[in-house]
Amino acid sequence: MSSLQPFRKTLTIILAGGQGERLYPLTKDRSKPAVPFGGVYRIIDFTLSNCINSGLKRIYAFTQYKSFSLDKHLQRGWNIFSYEAGEFLYRIPPQHRIGMKWYEGTAHAVYHNIYLLEHNKPEQVFVLSGDHIYKMDYGAMLASHLAHDLPLTLGAAVVPREGAHHFGILEVDENWRVIGFAEKPARPRTVPGDPDHCLVNMGVYLFDTVSLVREVCHDARRTETSHDFGRDIIPPMVAKNQVCAYPFRDTKSEEPAYWRDIGTLDNYYQASMDLVSRRPQIDLYDRDWPIRAWRAPAPPAKSVHGVTEDGSMPGEMTDSIIGGGTIVSGAKVERSILGSFVKINSYGRVSESILMDGVQVGRRAELNRVIIDKNVIIPEGMVIGHDPDEDRAHFQVTEGGVIVIPKEMNLHE
Amino acid sequence: MKKVLIVDDEPHLRLLYETDLRRAGFETMTAANAEQGLEYVDTMHPDLIVLDIRMAGMDGVEALQRILDRDNTIPVILNTAYSSYRENFMTWAADAYVTKSSNTSELVETVRELLNEEMVQN
Repeated sequence: MSSLQPFRKTLTIILAGGQGERLYPLTKDRSKPAVPFGGVYRIIDFTLSNCINSGLKRIYAFTQYKSFSLDKHLQRGWNIFSYEAGEFLYRIPPQHRIGMKWYEGTAHAVYHNIYLLEHNKPEQVFVLSGDHIYKMDYGAMLASHLAHDLPLTLGAAVVPREGAHHFGILEVDENWRVIGFAEKPARPRTVPGDPDHCLVNMGVYLFDTVSLVREVCHDARRTETSHDFGRDIIPPMVAKNQVCAYPFRDTKSEEPAYWRDIGTLDNYYQASMDLVSRRPQIDLYDRDWPIRAWRAPAPPAKSVHGVTEDGSMPGEMTDSIIGGGTIVSGAKVERSILGSFVKINSYGRVSESILMDGVQVGRRAELNRVIIDKNVIIPEGMVIGHDPDEDRAHFQVTEGGVIVIPKEMNLHE
Repeated sequence: MKKVLIVDDEPHLRLLYETDLRRAGFETMTAANAEQGLEYVDTMHPDLIVLDIRMAGMDGVEALQRILDRDNTIPVILNTAYSSYRENFMTWAADAYVTKSSNTSELVETVRELLNEEMVQN
């Protein structure tokens, strides 16, 4: 058998319909996977790049809420599949094939599309989330799945104990068979010998197709269910000893690898700030594992001296990511992420902030710890992020103290 | 008395099943196609459905999904002469498969089991 044979018999489903209410207002006009990230990417680009880099090229993306932005991105940025060679990326919205319901949960989305599995008859199915930031070789996970020969393999990440209660907590035996599973417990069990960390379910699933179909059909017949993989499908499979964990580690260091679930605005902000650290845990410059994105044709980013009646000032950028077509003119940018076609005018100061495409910052404006969605114009002299009371009076501020300004908000009135 | 809906486009099978299920103590109603069957699901609220797969118009595979979309607690028995349908993922939400036969003992026994099970659960 060719070593590529398992890939040919493997289908990938990306759950990309997440409403992302806790990311509002970034999800005002888009679903969670379509939220811009890292200056030039959308969140879903990480999962899709992992698929391509791993050799998984038969992909269905299940969409639901506010899907136009995601559709547009996939059409423009991911039209790279050779359909003649059997590769594909198809977007699957709720088609109301069997009723007028929307997807009521992740397992329900698969149940509604069983005809796709019947049509393709894959041996294995990856079920992935479209809203995680990580670089993972699914091929290694597939090899582990075939070696363990259990119906389900799930990706397992090590995370700090604080915050672990947002995830499904795993308990494994010495062969990585999952022997305990608790979905979002108040007091998560820590890794044996390491009271500061927990082993969690990443939401990266690899099912034998027969088991996947059996489980989602069974779930569809239950009355007490939220039709969710984490809550309703995984626990009974663990109880039947059918689940193996695949430890997500850095292939070089063997240490736990970087993985972030972008659940909240503070998660989003922190994962973004991770990118501008001197040595980020996730390397966007790794030519061996490229993260693809769609980019508008844009001239190179530029920094210039700004000249005003008060003299001139250099355009300075440190520890920052800058998108194409962006101009920093006589302003200072530190530890920030600027998208494409951003303009920072003279004596402006931007620190620890995320400015998406098309944001314009007027002269002498100052921004600190602000997320600004696309095409917002910051008026000359406006100061945001230095007076918490003032900020809360005018803007949405997260628990972590980050200010969020929605897309195209008019700040002149 | 529990109500069994028989959906089949072959009149003689509807008659056979109806006769034997009534004799076994069930109330029965029949539909000659899937569309009519779905209408009866909405209006007559059967306790169990015996569903043919290969029918003119909407087939039993699609009818199964539509029935469960209306009410996922109704037991459905797929009744077909073609065993290959068991391999079709889209039929796996059914409660049982019974191969078509002039001897209805397996069908009657399966109806009895599923409805008894329901009664225990209730």
